[in-house]
Amino acid sequence: MTRPSPWFISILLLPGIGLIVVFIGAVIYIAIAQSVGFYNLTGDSGFSMEFWEKLIGRKSYWTAVRYSLFIGFWAAVLSVAVAYPLALWLRKPFKGSLTVSAILKAPLMIHGIVAAFLFLNIISYNGLVNQLLVWTGLFDEPHRLQNDSGAVGLLFLQVWKNMPFALLLLTGAVQSIPQDTLNAAQDLGAGTIERFRRIIAPLTVSAMQAALIIVFIDALADFTFQTTVGPTNRQSLSQYMEFFRGRGRWNEAAGVGVTLMALSLIGAVLMALAARLIFRERPIARVVAWYETRRVEART
Amino acid sequence: MIAPHVLNRALMILLICVAILWLVIPFTMAVLWSLVDPALPWTPDNLLPPVISTYRWSYMWENSLLKPALLNSYTLAPLAALLTFAISMPTAFAIGRYDFRGKETVKLIALLPLVVPSFVTAIFFTSILYQIGLAQYRFAAILFAHIVLFLPYAIRIMSVSFEQVRIDHINAARDLGAAPWAVFRAAYWPALKPGVLAALLIVFIKSVEEFAIAYIVGQPGFVTVPTLVYSSLGQDFNRPNAAVLSLILAVPNVVLMLFLERLLKSANPAMASGKG
Repeated sequence: MTRPSPWFISILLLPGIGLIVVFIGAVIYIAIAQSVGFYNLTGDSGFSMEFWEKLIGRKSYWTAVRYSLFIGFWAAVLSVAVAYPLALWLRKPFKGSLTVSAILKAPLMIHGIVAAFLFLNIISYNGLVNQLLVWTGLFDEPHRLQNDSGAVGLLFLQVWKNMPFALLLLTGAVQSIPQDTLNAAQDLGAGTIERFRRIIAPLTVSAMQAALIIVFIDALADFTFQTTVGPTNRQSLSQYMEFFRGRGRWNEAAGVGVTLMALSLIGAVLMALAARLIFRERPIARVVAWYETRRVEART
Repeated sequence: MIAPHVLNRALMILLICVAILWLVIPFTMAVLWSLVDPALPWTPDNLLPPVISTYRWSYMWENSLLKPALLNSYTLAPLAALLTFAISMPTAFAIGRYDFRGKETVKLIALLPLVVPSFVTAIFFTSILYQIGLAQYRFAAILFAHIVLFLPYAIRIMSVSFEQVRIDHINAARDLGAAPWAVFRAAYWPALKPGVLAALLIVFIKSVEEFAIAYIVGQPGFVTVPTLVYSSLGQDFNRPNAAVLSLILAVPNVVLMLFLERLLKSANPAMASGKG
């Protein structure tokens, strides 16, 4: 590759990168500025922490923060936890493995709102799930499963939608683990869990981090699933922000928006750090060290 | 110890059962619900709807906002695809063909629109539109936002395509005295072609599916297919009508996605198309 003049590169980057920087920059700037009282659409504008104070004083704000974090965290962890065994299963191609992976990845192609409708249809009062549970005798009569207050339905849908994405990322990573490394671990007597903890997870930690972060941010900021299948007694942050906007309370909406962006960033960093700390790298060194202790044990 | 192939077979059968629960049943239910005749409702004691009719389909076509929604969605999407593609080209060319300082940073910045939550983007983009007095141009505003939001996909796909253009092909064409256009056709185009189609297609699909911007910026009155489906799940939830709309949103996109998957495979197997 050649190294042209920086001016030439800047001109080439301007329409694409320039547009992105200006647009996203303006959006973030307006959100922050409106949360501290600037750019009011009606009335006077000027610096004020009043809106933040009001927001922080509200119980519903903290409920929304806790609830969105709960959904984001569990959607990310569960999606990755379900995707790992599937990725390992599909690591080496076998007869029918392409069909399997196509079936598993199909939800990626289905729009979230359509997925919500399909799900509502299945769990409705006279829907299949209720009928099945009554038929098997687990329920005496149909129960109301829609919009359950524990957000189980919502989390199910989040995993349904996001697991294939985690799978996509993890499959590639898992396939690049050398077979020798896995064989070596197996020869040393490592069981399935041990192999996952000491070899597979550390070697695929960057794909795991990427999956965790992307699913976390997506689920944290969820609006459509929450408003269609989520609990009705709590609001997610996006829903809370839209609630304020719908009433023309832009400053408070901005406060929630800034909270959402900050939590996305902090949460993503924490999840990535946690994954790295739990599954430290240097797997080969660990295998060797482990092998040494085993040998010493065997000798004594 | 169970032999691996037996285990695999058992897992396959299990998975097919799960897939049926996962996909086949929900979709079959949606199709059946869309064919329920209003005169003879589908009650829980019947396994199948008593009468199959296409009444709901023609009813939704005539009496809902389906026509304007389809018109809006399918005008926005090709325009967004073409414009996003055109705007992404210089950036993708720079990333794919040149080595420059800060290239990794540029690649990260290109991902920004995907990282900021879409509802935050939608709401504060509307705020900006109000501030500068352009809020009434909803179509143009949504189109503009779609272009920026989907630039990351086009930039990524096209920069990988540009990377694959081989310098010896370019040199060979030049040495043989080819004019710039002939060089482009002989050396660039074969490597770029699958990427061009993939980039256009993915932006098209993303634009048809996009909800947050269309919902917030489009209020009140501007409908696209996703916002129409969303509103059909709200207060006046009518299952058969929602089933018709859901299928209209889902089916064409699934077909396009399958086509995209093929294209991406031929373009670059290691590249993920991104999130649906």
